[in-house]
Amino acid sequence: MTLVSIEKLLAYLEQEENVQFSYNKELLAGNSKVTVRLENVGLDQALDEIFKNRGIQYYALNDGYIVLRASNQKQVIETVSGTVTDAQSNEILPGVNVTVKGTTTGTATNTDGEYSLSVPSLNDTLMYSFIGYQTTEIPINGRTEIDVQLQAQAISGEELVVVGYGTQQRSDLTGSVGTVDEEAFKASSPTSLQEGLSGKIAGVSVSKNSGRPGSRATIRIRGNSSITGPNDPLFVVDGVVLPQANLSNGTSPIDYLDPGNIKSIEVLKDASATAIYGARGANGVVLVTTKGPVQDGGTVSYDGSFSASKLPAWSKIGLLNSEQFLAVEDLAFQNAAKYGLAGSVVDPATKRTDPRLFDSSGNPLYDTDWQEEALRTALTNSHNLSFSGGDRNNSYTVNLGYRDEEGILEKSSLKRYSGRLNINNQINDWLTAGATINYSVQEASQPRAVGAGGITPTRSILQALPITPVRYPDGTFGRTSDYPGMEGGAQPIRLVNETKRILDGTNTLADAFANFDLAEGLTLRTTFGLNIIDQETKFYAGDDLRFISDNGRAEISDEKITSWQFENYLTYETEVLEGHSFTGLLGLSWERVDNFTKFARADDFLDDYFEFNNLGIASNPRPPQSGASAHSLNSYFARVNYTIDSKYLFTVTGRFDGSSRFSEDNQYAFFPSGAIGWRVSEEKFMENSSTISNLKLRTSYGVTGNSEIPNYSTVTGLGNYSYIVGGTRVTGVGLNQMANPNLKWEKNTQVDLGVELGLFSDRVEFEGDIYYKKSEDMLLAAPVPSTSSYSTVIRNIGSMENRGVELTLKTRNISKSNILWSTSFNISINKNKVLHLTGGQDIVQGGNPVTGNRIIREGEPVNSFYGYIQLGTWNTDEAAQAAQYNRLPGDIKYKDINSDGAINEQDRVIIGNGNPDGYGSLINNVTYKNFDLMVDIQYMYGNETAFNSRATTLDRTGITNVLTEVLDAWTPNNQDTMVPEIRPTAAYKDRLSSTGRIENGSFIRGRNIVLGYNFPSELIQKWGKMKNVRIYASMQNFFLIDEYPGFDPEVSSFTGNFSQGDDLYSYPKPRVFQLGLSFSL
Amino acid sequence: MNIKSNICLLLSCGFLTILLMGCDNFLSHKDPSNLNTGNYFTQPSHAEGIVNATYESLYPVQSNASWLMTELRTGALNSTFTPNGGFPDFKIISDLQMSADHPAVNNYWVSHYRGIGNANLAIAEIPNIEMDATTQNRLLGEARFLRAYYYFNLVRVFGEVPLITESVDLGSPDLEPSRSSVESIYQLIVEDLTAAESSGLPFNDSSGRVTLGAIKSLLADVYLTMAGYPLQMGTEYYTLARDKAKEVIDSQEYSLFDSYLPFRESSNDNTGEHIFSVQYLQGEQNNDVLQIGLPPFKFGVSAYSSEQGFGFARDEFVASYEAGDKRAEERVFFFTSYSSESDRNETVQFPNQFIYKFWDEQAHLNTAQSGLNWQVIRYADVLLDFAEASNEVTGPTTEAYEAVNKIRRRAELNDLSGLTKTEFREAIWKERWHELIYENEIWFDMVRTRKAYDIEDDAFNDYVGHSFVDGSTLQERDLLFPLPTNELRNNENLTQNPGY
Repeated sequence: MTLVSIEKLLAYLEQEENVQFSYNKELLAGNSKVTVRLENVGLDQALDEIFKNRGIQYYALNDGYIVLRASNQKQVIETVSGTVTDAQSNEILPGVNVTVKGTTTGTATNTDGEYSLSVPSLNDTLMYSFIGYQTTEIPINGRTEIDVQLQAQAISGEELVVVGYGTQQRSDLTGSVGTVDEEAFKASSPTSLQEGLSGKIAGVSVSKNSGRPGSRATIRIRGNSSITGPNDPLFVVDGVVLPQANLSNGTSPIDYLDPGNIKSIEVLKDASATAIYGARGANGVVLVTTKGPVQDGGTVSYDGSFSASKLPAWSKIGLLNSEQFLAVEDLAFQNAAKYGLAGSVVDPATKRTDPRLFDSSGNPLYDTDWQEEALRTALTNSHNLSFSGGDRNNSYTVNLGYRDEEGILEKSSLKRYSGRLNINNQINDWLTAGATINYSVQEASQPRAVGAGGITPTRSILQALPITPVRYPDGTFGRTSDYPGMEGGAQPIRLVNETKRILDGTNTLADAFANFDLAEGLTLRTTFGLNIIDQETKFYAGDDLRFISDNGRAEISDEKITSWQFENYLTYETEVLEGHSFTGLLGLSWERVDNFTKFARADDFLDDYFEFNNLGIASNPRPPQSGASAHSLNSYFARVNYTIDSKYLFTVTGRFDGSSRFSEDNQYAFFPSGAIGWRVSEEKFMENSSTISNLKLRTSYGVTGNSEIPNYSTVTGLGNYSYIVGGTRVTGVGLNQMANPNLKWEKNTQVDLGVELGLFSDRVEFEGDIYYKKSEDMLLAAPVPSTSSYSTVIRNIGSMENRGVELTLKTRNISKSNILWSTSFNISINKNKVLHLTGGQDIVQGGNPVTGNRIIREGEPVNSFYGYIQLGTWNTDEAAQAAQYNRLPGDIKYKDINSDGAINEQDRVIIGNGNPDGYGSLINNVTYKNFDLMVDIQYMYGNETAFNSRATTLDRTGITNVLTEVLDAWTPNNQDTMVPEIRPTAAYKDRLSSTGRIENGSFIRGRNIVLGYNFPSELIQKWGKMKNVRIYASMQNFFLIDEYPGFDPEVSSFTGNFSQGDDLYSYPKPRVFQLGLSFSL
Repeated sequence: MNIKSNICLLLSCGFLTILLMGCDNFLSHKDPSNLNTGNYFTQPSHAEGIVNATYESLYPVQSNASWLMTELRTGALNSTFTPNGGFPDFKIISDLQMSADHPAVNNYWVSHYRGIGNANLAIAEIPNIEMDATTQNRLLGEARFLRAYYYFNLVRVFGEVPLITESVDLGSPDLEPSRSSVESIYQLIVEDLTAAESSGLPFNDSSGRVTLGAIKSLLADVYLTMAGYPLQMGTEYYTLARDKAKEVIDSQEYSLFDSYLPFRESSNDNTGEHIFSVQYLQGEQNNDVLQIGLPPFKFGVSAYSSEQGFGFARDEFVASYEAGDKRAEERVFFFTSYSSESDRNETVQFPNQFIYKFWDEQAHLNTAQSGLNWQVIRYADVLLDFAEASNEVTGPTTEAYEAVNKIRRRAELNDLSGLTKTEFREAIWKERWHELIYENEIWFDMVRTRKAYDIEDDAFNDYVGHSFVDGSTLQERDLLFPLPTNELRNNENLTQNPGY
């Protein structure tokens, strides 16, 4: 029991009880010392005891604030007023939010920029916040009139940027890091992370390749750096590394993250930035920061949108109508004799007798436009609700999300439910702990499996017969087989109704951390992250679907990925000398990923009723399958940042990674990097420059890696076999995988040179980078002679380079109090070249005449399109020449590269590349009073798109519907054409993968236009203390300038590494109209 | 609160974790789903497992692609199968424009060498497994038979091929092998089959596994081929072939079916005339080799959903059968009409002669799944081998006449008699064409005899220079198929067959 001053006592209570006292020092003037015994009493009792008979009253506000007042003082609430202006222009700022820190009390400035606010005490702090300006806190300090000047946001260098295992001020960065901040992310109201990232950062290519709901966009950071491994970047959500897995039907773990939870995204591009992720940094790293807890009082916010999607008119593909279709069939019949098929082809006129399809004179009754029928106006609605609250010691956020998205293809849809809880607790002055748990459930209906050939709805849209109806008057489906002699795939509406492909997925992403402040500047952070993905695909095809099911087929496949990581790292920050600051990081990490898959299939159902819900009822169950595999990673990492006078910046990083995928001798590898930055504008000689407000030069060098190869590649793995003996199945085990015990890491060395320039108080900002990236010891499932019984073996094979330039220019064109206009333009140019292949031979992949071939060849961009050159068609004058090639006039004429008189594999050449020479975007943001407008234009050039759908949609004249391009087919009077003469399909027709299908894939797209309105604060205050209310309307994909004959040149029908620009019956991309509302209170 | 003690606790926890997760264990994993060469071949069941795996290659080896490769080159098969729908172009085979990058040759090469790889592993490892000696020997016999069979196909289709008899890994000198002489391949085949003969396998067995009958029959065929082109080992080998075939005949384990119906019924699998077949089981392992390829394309007669119908008989070939030959009658080996799938009372007429020889009626009418075996060796083949070899050694004999006449009697044709050696030789060849057509036999006969049956003139022409009815002419290069492009690209030590 000691005599202490009340002030000390209050300070002690503040620490012990997590409260904060607010009082006028004069209040305690006469009450300097007290003696109290406080044991086992509550705070209330303690305060009663302390202030008893001292003429002091206390009032507990929310959030742990306790206001002290003289008892005799009337409970007067003080009023503070003032004007808010722009710091640069001195113009008044209406609509600025003014709140008492730690409370919900608040107001907004009126049209004259004035505010007046009642506060509990003149000792409080006021917070001024306004879009486009930095939030400013000003302690009242007893004043009743406070005029405030707000600084416009985005003063370069001030923002904190998330980097691997920490944060840094942008000005201190030595690496190339791109950021999509909260505002920019929100502005595009994205439906996925990829959409929010799209076009925002130079060097980051985001291709939305399909209109399918939930379809994954392909992200490439500085080009393709690997042949085998995924070229997708590493995703890290709040410090948790997501498994690098391709899930079924083209999704990946990041797709489960509700974009409503995302606060900001950082993309680490050069080796200096990515080296801290060592073995997995080669393709760049995307760091996602989700919305954390807020400490300034509780907030409830809602974001909702409603949208309608439709196939834009320009996307529609020209297909034959009924009249043209029958005419083409007639023409094919007429030409039959020329191809030696006289007598073996039925005269189509004799087939046109079915009264359901033809009138008495053989004219068609229907003229169905299958694009109209199968592609609908799709409706989507999405809701996101979040609650957050807490104080500076305890805070939490709860997010609830719901999205119900229809795809424009009938029956395709995606539903996602997500929930998220995040809590943070400052347990005491040296320990903070927190945890986040994300849980999301997805239910997708995908009538078209990703990458599927065969009979798919998107294919049958192109090939279904215009002369058959969706349904007959009696309600039964029109069938392809109703018209004799047709190829048998079902029409799209019947197909989506009689097949069902449901993808059910759940994802749990959780992490917990504890932060220990061990000593001044020294903290230890320990984190545990967990990601469990369970994805189930259920498929049923009804009885009697040609090419798909024999009396009903059901399939269920399940894939479960469990990954965890445990990381511990120390961070030490200190000022070594005056102006010399040092930050050191030292850490270790363990990680493990387990996969388990199951598959069951059964055929022959007695009724379609059961679908995939009762496989046991099928009379033909197939052998069940399962598989398990795992890999783990053990890492040690360190980083030192050293800064001298905020001018000279040095970063050195190293990571030592060990992976279970490699054999013991090659298990560990070291990935170092170093970088230097020079902030020229901080130098004395630049001090007086009125134009240059920021100039930084930086350069980095580093090594990263790629280890994404199948597990267990270093052992001779055996596989399943089976045979029938004595009328039963017997199983066997035999050769499957050739071992490569010498496998080592794929290494990626990158040099980067960057400049950041700010002019006129950063009204013009420029950032440019040039880089050179070399991948060595590339891992490839390289072909081996089949005489070994194997076809491929994973090997370190060859090297490849990417060189490129990235430029970003951001300008604030107008910056007035009520009008802001800023422009951001970026361009990325990347050139890829294969430098060396072991043995030097080309590696040709693919080989299907429909999907074509890709080639990996020294000196050429990796996986270029490989095929023949179509010169046109043989004309009648060339009949003799054509005969040498065993062709007739009207047949396709290919270029005989080696002039050996035959068209064979030696005549194939590189005919294009799916990756662009350059791409980028132009984004304009205008804010006028309460209105804001964003216009986002995307462009890409120098890429080719292979319109592989043309393979079947030109050839099958007379047995399916085909492109209107056939109307330009060769005839004796129309010889200058690329389209061969129409003939029965039984006649020979070339269909080699050639330039005849390669199209210019360049385009300019109006990607997104958003117009928003923020309701004025005075108005929404009246509605009920709302902080903000915004409504917006947007249109995505609002124009497209291209030359591509398919749906959309930005396309990929497959999930493979190099499938960019490969269009085979792709899911068309819609134009989306969206209306949204968001508010918070 | 004691910060220090907490930190101590924490750090000790940290170290403990590090110890617990000792790096060695943490980074070593074994594949829980698959065995590897390190833990295989430790139990008797593993010996059976590797032999079963060796059998499985029979499926891709006898695929419809291999069937089309060899049958389209006889000139008796036609195909409307143009390169539509992602399927490779087969018409160019009958047009004799086959090139090295045709997927069929690649499939042929790859699937045979996969079978050989498993056989090599079985032959090398089974002797090291502690197990019942009888079973061990039998399993080795089966593996040797299969290896011989795979090489026999390869050497006939590609000529000189790499002779791989041991497992290959990345460090093997055999990783990029050169081609071995035809003689050395046949030497291994004879060696394997001879060893298999004494492995204690039963002469006949309804399970579908390799039998002594199959071994001897294949050996007879091998000797007959060695006697002809390209080795031309002559009379000695005709004698060996005759004697080996006679062993099969004399065993009386096999007999011709009375009619042609049993060939189309899976209840007769592995009995009677069937000596060795690829085994199928309806529902478990459906025979998709020909059942989905045979129904006439687009005519709507079959329950099969995936009907492609890539092959049909040339009319001229059907016409080449002697008058009254049962086999040329409607719905014996060929057919021109069938009931419509939508209405089985309605008959659909085809514009061509389609193949009925292996038509599994039940599968086409109802189940769309066929369990019919695919025959590799049947007794008729052995009888004809015997007759041909015996004629070459001694000229026509009663026994040789009887062997051929058994087959002719089933076709309701008159017995052959009183022929010269040359006449009898051609009569046997012709019988082979009419009996064994579309069974992966005839093109091999053409190559070993260098003779082709002129189906329009009912005569035998020299192989080189023989024209098919559509005018394509066989050349020297057509005695072999090209080595697949992929393989040449991946192995610099290989050379292409001349003319490709």
